[in-house]
Amino acid sequence: MDQTMTQAASSQDPSRGEPLVAVRNLTKRFPITKGIVLQKEVARVHAVEDVSFEVYPGETLGLVGESGCGKSTTARLLLKLIDATSGNIFFEGTNITKLKRREMRPYRREMQMIFQDPYASLNPRKTVGSIIGAPFTIHKTEGEVKKRVQDLMDRVGMNPEHYNRFPHEFSGGQRQRIGVARALALRPKLIVCDEPVSALDVSIQAQILNLLEDLQDEFKLTYVFISHDLGVVRHISDRIAVMYLGHVVEVAAADELYQNPKHPYTAALLSAVPKGHTDTDLTQRVVLTGDVPSPIDPPSGCVFHPRCPKAREVAGSAGSVPENCRTEFPPLGEVSRSHLCACWYPLKEGESLQKAAHA
Amino acid sequence: MAQEVLLEVKDLHVHFPTADGLVKAVDGLNFKVLRGETFGIVGESGSGKSVTNLTALGLIKRETAQISGEILFKGQDLLKLNSEELRKVRGKELAMIFQDPFACLHPFYRVGDQLVEAILCHEKMPKKQAAERATDLLASVGIPHPKERFRDYPHQYSGGMRQRAMIAMALVHNPDLLIADEPTTALDVTVQAQIIELIEKVKTEFNIGVILITHDLGVIADVAQRVLVMYAGRGAEMGTIDEVFKSPLHPYTWGLLESIPRVDSKGTRLVPIEGSPPSLINKPAGCAFHPRCPHRFEKCDKEIPAMQDRGGGHPEACYLSIEDKKRIWAEREARRTKAAS
Repeated sequence: MDQTMTQAASSQDPSRGEPLVAVRNLTKRFPITKGIVLQKEVARVHAVEDVSFEVYPGETLGLVGESGCGKSTTARLLLKLIDATSGNIFFEGTNITKLKRREMRPYRREMQMIFQDPYASLNPRKTVGSIIGAPFTIHKTEGEVKKRVQDLMDRVGMNPEHYNRFPHEFSGGQRQRIGVARALALRPKLIVCDEPVSALDVSIQAQILNLLEDLQDEFKLTYVFISHDLGVVRHISDRIAVMYLGHVVEVAAADELYQNPKHPYTAALLSAVPKGHTDTDLTQRVVLTGDVPSPIDPPSGCVFHPRCPKAREVAGSAGSVPENCRTEFPPLGEVSRSHLCACWYPLKEGESLQKAAHA
Repeated sequence: MAQEVLLEVKDLHVHFPTADGLVKAVDGLNFKVLRGETFGIVGESGSGKSVTNLTALGLIKRETAQISGEILFKGQDLLKLNSEELRKVRGKELAMIFQDPFACLHPFYRVGDQLVEAILCHEKMPKKQAAERATDLLASVGIPHPKERFRDYPHQYSGGMRQRAMIAMALVHNPDLLIADEPTTALDVTVQAQIIELIEKVKTEFNIGVILITHDLGVIADVAQRVLVMYAGRGAEMGTIDEVFKSPLHPYTWGLLESIPRVDSKGTRLVPIEGSPPSLINKPAGCAFHPRCPHRFEKCDKEIPAMQDRGGGHPEACYLSIEDKKRIWAEREARRTKAAS
């Protein structure tokens, strides 16, 4: 194993063995340029900032956060669809960050992706058979493609006779099944699901979630599951990482995170979800003021400090925040066993953010 | 005291003739909205929730659709008005907020000027006075620095602020009824919470009725007092939030409630509704839900069940006897609690 990986793996849980994927200090900044011929960099979008986490074999790691928080960029970096500005990605202990296209090939078979929009992610001019069969052709696998594609179609709950149909002949849910079959074709170890059910109606969403769970059991898959829907993430994930403005601010087991959030942002995010038919008191809701700041010019120190109710409570007077919140980003440290949180003043057990918000 | 009925939809049918056949988007719908309440309409895509409200606003053209039934707004049938008369009601007494705040503001004009235009379209007053009123409105919907923001273009607003501006625009003439079509679907949860609070505040302050259309049962349960569940252009069940969410009587509602992963507990395997929503051109005979319904029996594919109270306390459209419904729902609840523990 690479030395840097062991060193930085402060959060690594020894009982779970080797992580399948480990990400260390991953950073991605997109340049904003001005000028047509002589392009001058004028600013940078801080999409992902110093992110570290690991994914263990067989688990589902949920990535949640609001739009623009860097969830999808993180996923793309993981799969090396885009190159990181700095930081390292380890797949089964091998550093894949600097691998060339050709060297990356064998790893590509092991990591696949399911996309959000089943209307945009399937080529309308190709038949279902050739879409699902493409991975076999590209990776020049042995055996008869048609038979294997039909097995896959059957496995994801589609009629194998529809082999020669085109994507437009299917409903949204069926198209998403095509996407799942394609991702599954090469029997990968890791599947990154980027909002796979967000575009679907609730009754169909449940079908796809169940399918993903069944496939995980059957093929021992590992998922990185991105969603903005906190109910869906809780349902499917074993562990969850919460992102805000490019940073991972909290990582914990799903139940632990929802019952006992430590980071003020997580607490606010959870309280904002309409609880539906549960008997939660509406006054429990913490409404954050303002919008997510621009990632081009993120706030200094902890990026959440301008909106943080807890920081204002700690500072005591309205409109001010503690010195360290303003100047230094808090490290992602362990607050309790395998519960990581990046906050100078994490919430104590049972502490309500509500009081802070009204103070 | 009986509350004033603001809107009453009676046996509404909206059919669109297309090359493939007649699309029956809305097919016999009845409901009432009272002053001072938030009336929720839930349903999946294609269930006819938006078409109903677009028809009420006269935004569906007679040339392209066959419309029958009545939509009574404060006793006046909106479907009988000509476009001139309708224009006097629309935007004044009857206002609408749309789903996508990015598409609903004109990108070339300043937000303030768009509000002024909305004001001047129903009321004669000096432009300066209208501008003052627009600034006040921006302030009342919680836009910081309304004076400066008045001169901004829509692209300078964030998603949440645009939706606030849309709400301000809907409020310019103190409407009696506000129709909000998926007002928070395009927004993040924390911003969604802000907008939901704002709509609540507006409702109480102006004492108006609100129709909230959404596919998110959580949002409905949080803000609405009564709810209508729609399926394939018809009502499946209608009642207060407690009635529909605590003792639902229609198998479709059961399926919806069981399909949703819950935030408050890890839960167990979801119970999806089998199959997918029907084509609105070749609707199944009888109850449109019967091909997906696990409790169907002979009668279901013969005749369309009427929306009526069958003894359960609120109107629903399912042939099962009330005893069966109560028993099946209790069984499904028990199975779920057992699985969760």
